[in-house]
Amino acid sequence: MKHFSEADLLETYYMQPSEATPIIAHVNDCNECQERYRRLSQKLRDIAACPSEKPATFWTRQRLMIMRAVDNAREQSGRTVRTARVAAAALLAFLLGGAVVYKSVEPALKTPAVIVAPAPQVASNDDLKVPSDPWQSDELKDFGSVVQWESWVEASSPTGSSL
Amino acid sequence: MTQINATVPSDAELIARTLGGDGGAFGILVDRFQRKIYRVAFAIVRNDVEADTITQDTFIQAYTHLAKFQGRSEFETWLTRIAINRSRDSLRRRRFVSLFRSDEDGEPEGWIEPVDDRPDPEREIMARQLRTAIERAERKLSTQQKLIFRLRHYEDRSLEEIAVLLGLRSGTVRAHLFRAIHKIRQELAEWVTAREEPSNETL
Repeated sequence: MKHFSEADLLETYYMQPSEATPIIAHVNDCNECQERYRRLSQKLRDIAACPSEKPATFWTRQRLMIMRAVDNAREQSGRTVRTARVAAAALLAFLLGGAVVYKSVEPALKTPAVIVAPAPQVASNDDLKVPSDPWQSDELKDFGSVVQWESWVEASSPTGSSL
Repeated sequence: MTQINATVPSDAELIARTLGGDGGAFGILVDRFQRKIYRVAFAIVRNDVEADTITQDTFIQAYTHLAKFQGRSEFETWLTRIAINRSRDSLRRRRFVSLFRSDEDGEPEGWIEPVDDRPDPEREIMARQLRTAIERAERKLSTQQKLIFRLRHYEDRSLEEIAVLLGLRSGTVRAHLFRAIHKIRQELAEWVTAREEPSNETL
Protein backbone atom coordinates (compact mmCIF):
# COMPACT_ATOMS: atom_id res chain seq x y z
CA MET A 1 0.00 0.00 0.00
CA LYS A 2 1.38 3.37 -1.00
CA HIS A 3 1.44 5.92 1.80
CA PHE A 4 1.40 9.64 1.32
CA SER A 5 4.14 11.94 2.50
CA GLU A 6 3.55 15.10 4.51
CA ALA A 7 4.20 17.11 1.38
CA ASP A 8 1.35 15.26 -0.37
CA LEU A 9 -0.89 15.72 2.60
CA LEU A 10 -0.08 19.40 2.71
CA GLU A 11 -1.91 19.88 -0.55
CA THR A 12 -4.87 17.99 0.82
CA TYR A 13 -4.91 20.17 3.90
CA TYR A 14 -5.01 23.43 2.00
CA MET A 15 -6.86 22.62 -1.19
CA GLN A 16 -10.03 21.21 0.39
CA PRO A 17 -10.45 18.35 -2.05
CA SER A 18 -13.73 16.55 -2.16
CA GLU A 19 -14.22 13.35 -0.23
CA ALA A 20 -14.17 11.36 -3.45
CA THR A 21 -10.50 12.03 -4.24
CA PRO A 22 -8.16 9.05 -3.92
CA ILE A 23 -5.94 10.72 -1.36
CA ILE A 24 -8.83 11.46 0.99
CA ALA A 25 -10.19 7.99 0.49
CA HIS A 26 -6.80 6.55 1.38
CA VAL A 27 -6.37 8.76 4.43
CA ASN A 28 -9.76 7.67 5.67
CA ASP A 29 -8.81 4.00 5.32
CA CYS A 30 -5.15 4.06 6.31
CA ASN A 31 -4.44 4.57 10.01
CA GLU A 32 -0.84 5.52 9.40
CA CYS A 33 -1.66 8.25 6.90
CA GLN A 34 -4.56 9.36 9.01
CA GLU A 35 -2.26 9.85 11.97
CA ARG A 36 0.30 11.63 9.81
CA TYR A 37 -2.39 13.89 8.43
CA ARG A 38 -3.64 14.64 11.92
CA ARG A 39 -0.16 15.57 13.11
CA LEU A 40 0.49 17.73 10.07
CA SER A 41 -2.82 19.54 10.48
CA GLN A 42 -2.03 20.18 14.13
CA LYS A 43 1.41 21.56 13.25
CA LEU A 44 -0.02 23.83 10.59
CA ARG A 45 -2.68 25.09 12.94
CA ASP A 46 -0.04 25.75 15.59
CA ILE A 47 2.09 27.68 13.15
CA ALA A 48 -0.89 29.65 11.96
CA ALA A 49 -2.02 30.58 15.44
CA CYS A 50 -2.37 34.33 15.54
CA PRO A 51 -1.59 36.19 18.74
CA SER A 52 -4.80 38.18 18.60
CA GLU A 53 -5.09 37.80 22.35
CA LYS A 54 -4.02 41.30 23.20
CA PRO A 55 -4.49 43.03 26.52
CA ALA A 56 -7.68 44.99 26.92
CA THR A 57 -5.68 48.22 26.91
CA PHE A 58 -4.57 47.49 23.35
CA TRP A 59 -8.14 47.32 22.09
CA THR A 60 -9.20 50.32 24.13
CA ARG A 61 -6.34 52.41 22.78
CA GLN A 62 -7.08 51.26 19.24
CA ARG A 63 -10.76 52.07 19.63
CA LEU A 64 -9.96 55.52 21.02
CA MET A 65 -7.62 56.21 18.12
CA ILE A 66 -10.30 55.18 15.65
CA MET A 67 -12.99 57.24 17.31
CA ARG A 68 -10.73 60.28 17.48
CA ALA A 69 -10.01 59.98 13.77
CA VAL A 70 -13.71 59.47 13.09
CA ASP A 71 -14.57 62.58 15.10
CA ASN A 72 -12.00 64.55 13.13
CA ALA A 73 -13.42 63.22 9.89
CA ARG A 74 -16.94 64.14 11.00
CA GLU A 75 -15.84 67.60 12.07
CA GLN A 76 -13.99 68.14 8.83
CA SER A 77 -16.96 66.89 6.87
CA GLY A 78 -19.27 69.21 8.83
CA ARG A 79 -16.90 72.11 8.22
CA THR A 80 -16.85 71.32 4.52
CA VAL A 81 -20.63 71.20 4.41
CA ARG A 82 -20.88 74.47 6.33
CA THR A 83 -18.36 76.13 4.03
CA ALA A 84 -20.21 74.85 1.00
CA ARG A 85 -23.51 76.18 2.39
CA VAL A 86 -22.02 79.58 3.15
CA ALA A 87 -20.47 79.70 -0.31
CA ALA A 88 -23.78 78.73 -1.90
CA ALA A 89 -25.64 81.35 0.15
CA ALA A 90 -23.09 83.99 -0.79
CA LEU A 91 -23.37 83.08 -4.44
CA LEU A 92 -27.15 83.20 -4.29
CA ALA A 93 -27.07 86.59 -2.53
CA PHE A 94 -24.65 87.89 -5.09
CA LEU A 95 -26.84 86.73 -7.95
CA LEU A 96 -30.02 88.12 -6.39
CA GLY A 97 -28.34 91.42 -5.55
CA GLY A 98 -26.96 91.61 -9.02
CA ALA A 99 -30.40 90.99 -10.48
CA VAL A 100 -31.95 93.71 -8.31
CA VAL A 101 -29.25 96.20 -9.19
CA TYR A 102 -29.58 95.33 -12.83
CA LYS A 103 -33.32 95.82 -12.76
CA SER A 104 -32.90 99.24 -11.16
CA VAL A 105 -30.43 100.51 -13.73
CA GLU A 106 -31.86 98.59 -16.64
CA PRO A 107 -33.67 101.62 -18.29
CA ALA A 108 -30.49 103.67 -18.27
CA LEU A 109 -28.62 100.85 -19.76
CA LYS A 110 -31.09 100.50 -22.55
CA THR A 111 -29.33 101.58 -25.68
CA PRO A 112 -31.06 103.94 -28.11
CA ALA A 113 -32.55 102.47 -31.15
CA VAL A 114 -29.91 101.70 -33.58
CA ILE A 115 -30.28 103.77 -36.72
CA VAL A 116 -29.51 101.62 -39.53
CA ALA A 117 -28.52 103.33 -42.71
CA PRO A 118 -31.00 102.51 -45.36
CA ALA A 119 -29.71 100.06 -47.76
CA PRO A 120 -29.17 101.46 -51.23
CA GLN A 121 -32.32 101.05 -53.08
CA VAL A 122 -32.14 98.93 -56.01
CA ALA A 123 -34.45 99.82 -58.69
CA SER A 124 -36.90 97.13 -59.10
CA ASN A 125 -39.94 96.55 -61.09
CA ASP A 126 -41.99 97.49 -58.01
CA ASP A 127 -40.93 101.13 -58.40
CA LEU A 128 -42.44 101.24 -61.80
CA LYS A 129 -45.71 99.96 -60.61
CA VAL A 130 -48.53 102.38 -60.26
CA PRO A 131 -49.70 102.69 -56.64
CA SER A 132 -53.19 101.57 -55.86
CA ASP A 133 -54.15 105.15 -54.90
CA PRO A 134 -52.97 107.35 -57.72
CA TRP A 135 -53.12 110.49 -55.53
CA GLN A 136 -50.38 109.02 -53.28
CA SER A 137 -47.89 108.65 -56.05
CA ASP A 138 -44.75 110.77 -56.15
CA GLU A 139 -45.91 112.63 -59.17
CA LEU A 140 -49.17 113.76 -57.57
CA LYS A 141 -48.14 114.34 -53.94
CA ASP A 142 -47.51 118.06 -54.53
CA PHE A 143 -51.11 118.35 -55.47
CA GLY A 144 -52.24 117.05 -52.14
CA SER A 145 -54.09 120.23 -51.26
CA VAL A 146 -55.95 120.08 -54.49
CA VAL A 147 -56.75 116.53 -53.85
CA GLN A 148 -58.02 117.36 -50.38
CA TRP A 149 -60.04 120.25 -51.78
CA GLU A 150 -61.49 118.12 -54.47
CA SER A 151 -62.27 115.50 -51.93
CA TRP A 152 -63.86 118.11 -49.72
CA VAL A 153 -65.86 119.45 -52.64
CA GLU A 154 -66.91 116.01 -53.56
CA ALA A 155 -67.72 115.02 -49.97
CA SER A 156 -69.48 118.25 -49.00
CA SER A 157 -71.58 118.74 -52.13
CA PRO A 158 -72.63 115.51 -53.51
CA THR A 159 -75.50 117.16 -55.14
CA GLY A 160 -73.24 119.64 -56.92
CA SER A 161 -71.37 116.89 -58.58
CA SER A 162 -74.60 115.47 -59.73
CA LEU A 163 -75.30 118.79 -61.24
CA MET B 1 -32.15 34.92 25.53
CA THR B 2 -34.64 36.71 23.36
CA GLN B 3 -34.45 39.68 25.67
CA ILE B 4 -30.68 39.87 25.27
CA ASN B 5 -30.96 39.67 21.49
CA ALA B 6 -33.59 42.38 21.51
CA THR B 7 -31.28 44.75 23.40
CA VAL B 8 -28.28 44.15 21.14
CA PRO B 9 -28.62 46.43 18.14
CA SER B 10 -28.04 44.89 14.74
CA ASP B 11 -25.30 46.08 12.41
CA ALA B 12 -27.88 47.66 10.11
CA GLU B 13 -29.42 49.57 12.99
CA LEU B 14 -26.04 50.83 14.16
CA ILE B 15 -25.15 51.88 10.63
CA ALA B 16 -28.40 53.80 10.32
CA ARG B 17 -27.75 55.50 13.64
CA THR B 18 -24.21 56.37 12.60
CA LEU B 19 -25.47 57.88 9.37
CA GLY B 20 -27.92 59.86 11.47
CA GLY B 21 -25.01 61.42 13.34
CA ASP B 22 -24.75 59.10 16.34
CA GLY B 23 -21.01 58.65 16.83
CA GLY B 24 -21.53 56.26 19.70
CA ALA B 25 -23.22 53.78 17.39
CA PHE B 26 -20.10 53.57 15.28
CA GLY B 27 -18.12 52.99 18.47
CA ILE B 28 -20.20 49.88 19.09
CA LEU B 29 -19.43 48.66 15.57
CA VAL B 30 -15.73 49.24 16.16
CA ASP B 31 -15.90 47.34 19.41
CA ARG B 32 -17.74 44.51 17.70
CA PHE B 33 -15.37 43.98 14.78
CA GLN B 34 -11.96 45.40 15.67
CA ARG B 35 -10.53 42.04 16.82
CA LYS B 36 -11.63 40.22 13.68
CA ILE B 37 -10.30 42.93 11.41
CA TYR B 38 -7.03 43.05 13.28
CA ARG B 39 -6.68 39.29 12.96
CA VAL B 40 -7.26 39.38 9.20
CA ALA B 41 -4.78 42.22 8.78
CA PHE B 42 -2.22 40.47 10.93
CA ALA B 43 -2.70 37.21 9.03
CA ILE B 44 -1.77 38.99 5.83
CA VAL B 45 0.94 41.42 6.84
CA ARG B 46 2.37 39.41 9.77
CA ASN B 47 3.35 42.54 11.60
CA ASP B 48 1.83 43.93 14.76
CA VAL B 49 2.24 47.63 14.08
CA GLU B 50 1.09 47.41 10.48
CA ALA B 51 -1.92 45.32 11.44
CA ASP B 52 -2.85 47.91 14.04
CA THR B 53 -2.56 50.74 11.52
CA ILE B 54 -4.53 48.81 8.91
CA THR B 55 -7.29 48.12 11.43
CA GLN B 56 -7.58 51.79 12.27
CA ASP B 57 -7.51 52.83 8.62
CA THR B 58 -10.13 50.24 7.79
CA PHE B 59 -12.61 51.66 10.26
CA ILE B 60 -11.90 55.25 9.29
CA GLN B 61 -12.40 54.41 5.62
CA ALA B 62 -15.55 52.50 6.48
CA TYR B 63 -16.89 55.50 8.38
CA THR B 64 -16.18 57.99 5.61
CA HIS B 65 -17.77 55.71 3.00
CA LEU B 66 -20.54 54.34 5.16
CA ALA B 67 -23.23 56.02 3.06
CA LYS B 68 -22.03 53.93 0.10
CA PHE B 69 -22.57 50.67 1.97
CA GLN B 70 -25.68 49.27 0.38
CA GLY B 71 -26.10 46.26 2.59
CA ARG B 72 -25.79 43.77 -0.24
CA SER B 73 -23.22 41.90 1.84
CA GLU B 74 -22.69 41.63 5.54
CA PHE B 75 -21.07 44.62 7.17
CA GLU B 76 -18.33 42.33 8.44
CA THR B 77 -17.59 41.12 4.90
CA TRP B 78 -17.46 44.70 3.68
CA LEU B 79 -15.06 45.65 6.46
CA THR B 80 -12.92 42.58 5.80
CA ARG B 81 -12.68 43.51 2.13
CA ILE B 82 -11.44 46.96 3.05
CA ALA B 83 -8.91 45.45 5.45
CA ILE B 84 -7.73 42.97 2.81
CA ASN B 85 -7.30 45.73 0.23
CA ARG B 86 -5.31 47.81 2.69
CA SER B 87 -3.21 44.81 3.66
CA ARG B 88 -2.56 44.04 0.01
CA ASP B 89 -1.43 47.64 -0.51
CA SER B 90 0.87 47.23 2.44
CA LEU B 91 2.35 44.02 1.01
CA ARG B 92 2.88 45.69 -2.36
CA ARG B 93 4.52 48.69 -0.74
CA ARG B 94 6.77 46.40 1.20
CA ARG B 95 7.63 44.51 -1.96
CA PHE B 96 8.42 47.78 -3.70
CA VAL B 97 10.61 48.94 -0.82
CA SER B 98 12.40 45.59 -0.80
CA LEU B 99 13.59 46.29 -4.35
CA PHE B 100 15.86 48.94 -2.89
CA ARG B 101 17.02 46.87 0.03
CA SER B 102 19.66 44.21 0.29
CA ASP B 103 17.56 41.58 2.06
CA GLU B 104 15.48 39.10 0.12
CA ASP B 105 11.94 40.20 0.64
CA GLY B 106 11.66 42.88 3.22
CA GLU B 107 9.37 40.67 5.23
CA PRO B 108 9.68 41.11 8.94
CA GLU B 109 11.58 38.26 10.48
CA GLY B 110 9.59 38.30 13.67
CA TRP B 111 7.65 35.11 13.19
CA ILE B 112 5.30 34.27 15.93
CA GLU B 113 6.10 31.20 17.91
CA PRO B 114 3.47 28.51 17.56
CA VAL B 115 1.08 28.05 20.39
CA ASP B 116 2.35 24.80 21.77
CA ASP B 117 2.99 24.49 25.44
CA ARG B 118 3.61 20.76 25.39
CA PRO B 119 7.21 19.89 26.22
CA ASP B 120 7.95 17.96 23.05
CA PRO B 121 11.31 19.07 21.64
CA GLU B 122 11.04 16.97 18.49
CA ARG B 123 7.66 18.37 17.66
CA GLU B 124 8.90 21.83 18.33
CA ILE B 125 11.81 21.36 15.95
CA MET B 126 9.53 19.95 13.27
CA ALA B 127 7.12 22.78 13.67
CA ARG B 128 9.95 25.28 13.39
CA GLN B 129 11.24 23.59 10.25
CA LEU B 130 7.82 23.54 8.71
CA ARG B 131 7.39 27.18 9.57
CA THR B 132 10.74 27.97 8.00
CA ALA B 133 9.73 26.10 4.86
CA ILE B 134 6.51 28.08 4.66
CA GLU B 135 8.37 31.31 5.32
CA ARG B 136 10.87 30.59 2.55
CA ALA B 137 8.15 29.59 0.14
CA GLU B 138 6.14 32.69 0.94
CA ARG B 139 9.01 34.89 -0.11
CA LYS B 140 8.75 33.46 -3.59
CA LEU B 141 5.04 34.11 -3.91
CA SER B 142 3.46 36.99 -5.72
CA THR B 143 1.41 39.43 -3.69
CA GLN B 144 -1.83 37.81 -4.79
CA GLN B 145 -0.60 34.29 -4.08
CA LYS B 146 0.70 35.38 -0.70
CA LEU B 147 -2.59 37.06 0.11
CA ILE B 148 -4.61 33.98 -0.78
CA PHE B 149 -2.26 31.59 0.94
CA ARG B 150 -2.24 33.62 4.12
CA LEU B 151 -6.00 33.91 4.22
CA ARG B 152 -6.18 30.16 3.82
CA HIS B 153 -3.34 29.31 6.17
CA TYR B 154 -3.61 31.83 8.99
CA GLU B 155 -7.26 32.72 8.80
CA ASP B 156 -8.44 29.24 7.84
CA ARG B 157 -10.83 30.73 5.32
CA SER B 158 -12.39 28.39 2.81
CA LEU B 159 -11.62 28.82 -0.88
CA GLU B 160 -15.14 30.06 -1.50
CA GLU B 161 -14.86 32.64 1.26
CA ILE B 162 -11.56 33.88 -0.12
CA ALA B 163 -13.08 34.13 -3.58
CA VAL B 164 -15.93 36.25 -2.22
CA LEU B 165 -13.63 38.47 -0.20
CA LEU B 166 -11.28 39.10 -3.10
CA GLY B 167 -13.98 39.29 -5.75
CA LEU B 168 -12.35 36.46 -7.69
CA ARG B 169 -13.63 33.26 -9.17
CA SER B 170 -13.18 30.17 -7.08
CA GLY B 171 -11.07 28.57 -9.82
CA THR B 172 -8.68 31.52 -9.82
CA VAL B 173 -8.25 31.29 -6.07
CA ARG B 174 -7.64 27.56 -6.37
CA ALA B 175 -5.00 28.11 -9.04
CA HIS B 176 -3.15 30.72 -6.99
CA LEU B 177 -3.27 28.55 -3.91
CA PHE B 178 -2.09 25.51 -5.79
CA ARG B 179 0.90 27.42 -7.04
CA ALA B 180 1.69 28.63 -3.54
CA ILE B 181 1.47 25.11 -2.14
CA HIS B 182 3.65 23.82 -4.94
CA LYS B 183 6.38 26.20 -3.84
CA ILE B 184 5.98 25.20 -0.23
CA ARG B 185 6.22 21.57 -1.25
CA GLN B 186 9.49 22.30 -2.98
CA GLU B 187 10.81 23.86 0.20
CA LEU B 188 9.45 20.99 2.25
CA ALA B 189 11.08 18.44 -0.01
CA GLU B 190 14.45 19.90 0.95
CA TRP B 191 13.44 19.89 4.57
CA VAL B 192 12.27 16.25 4.46
CA THR B 193 15.45 15.17 2.71
CA ALA B 194 17.57 16.99 5.24
CA ARG B 195 15.60 15.42 8.06
CA GLU B 196 15.81 11.89 6.69
CA GLU B 197 19.51 11.95 5.95
CA PRO B 198 20.73 11.49 9.53
CA SER B 199 18.35 8.58 10.13
CA ASN B 200 19.67 6.83 7.02
CA GLU B 201 23.13 7.22 8.33
CA THR B 202 22.22 5.51 11.57
CA LEU B 203 20.77 2.66 9.61
